[in-house]
Amino acid sequence: MPKKILSVDDSRTIRLIVGRALRPYDCVLCEASNGEEGLAVAAREKPDLILLDVTMPVMDGVTMLTKLKEDAELKAIPVIMLTAESGRDNVINIARLGVRDYLVKPFKEDQLLEKIGRSVPLQKKEAAPAAASAPGPVAAAAPTA
Amino acid sequence: MSLQTLPSLDIRHFLNGHVVDVFETMLSKKATPAQDGTSPEFAERITGSVGLGGDTVTGAVYLHLSAEFANQIAATMLGLLPEETLPDNDVNDVVGECTNMLAGGLKSVLCDKSFECAVSTPAIIRGASFNIESMPDVRHEIMVYECGGNRFTVEVHIKFISNAQPL
Repeated sequence: MPKKILSVDDSRTIRLIVGRALRPYDCVLCEASNGEEGLAVAAREKPDLILLDVTMPVMDGVTMLTKLKEDAELKAIPVIMLTAESGRDNVINIARLGVRDYLVKPFKEDQLLEKIGRSVPLQKKEAAPAAASAPGPVAAAAPTA
Repeated sequence: MSLQTLPSLDIRHFLNGHVVDVFETMLSKKATPAQDGTSPEFAERITGSVGLGGDTVTGAVYLHLSAEFANQIAATMLGLLPEETLPDNDVNDVVGECTNMLAGGLKSVLCDKSFECAVSTPAIIRGASFNIESMPDVRHEIMVYECGGNRFTVEVHIKFISNAQPL
């Protein structure tokens, strides 16, 4: 069963980078652009992992995380914080909130995948069926893209 | 760190390294501090701004790019061809995110020196001709960079509040 990953970030760019990094893997990406939306999507989708930005409008990542940890149904979902702030105190504060891990922006896609892979097993999508020029009936298998 | 030793906080040195890191990591582009430091003239400018605020320090970080270079880096970051023309919203988002990374790095340095502060969400200013002017007692740094034949600037305004002590 594909893993469900929720990306909560007010930057569409970051959500797109996350989606691009995860494209080769068998997982479903859900998105939210602030903490309030993130909580709603988390409650609805019950993701296997949440990637959570810190500074966002409406509700920031720290508030969302605090509320998530207060919710009996959601508190066990592992959270990786994505933050542009690498300072010692910031890292300590984030760790105290009960996050699984954190990743400092700027980051490369392979760093992101490594962090995600530590929390949820990522499996590559199966290779697409052979090219349509091959003889025989058209494969009934659904495309993996 | 005491207020008397604040000049030793080398914002310019820190940001020179951080700008290079952000451009290299997110855009696979090599940015270098411009030798002559002459600020570029932009026919159309896109500026990202992120504020810093706390009990002992306030300020802002600005990233000034030509519209053409901003489009180029946005396309690169979004995995498109650099010459592809993007909607303003996409360019704004990328410029805002890059500015956020620069400000977040500066915030980390300040917090590690006990000047606790928070960063704002980014805002974008677009225009042909405008200046960001600093208020009295505000430390003001402008750094010019080159990247693949383009010039851009990073501007920092920072004020350490004189009657407050670092946390």
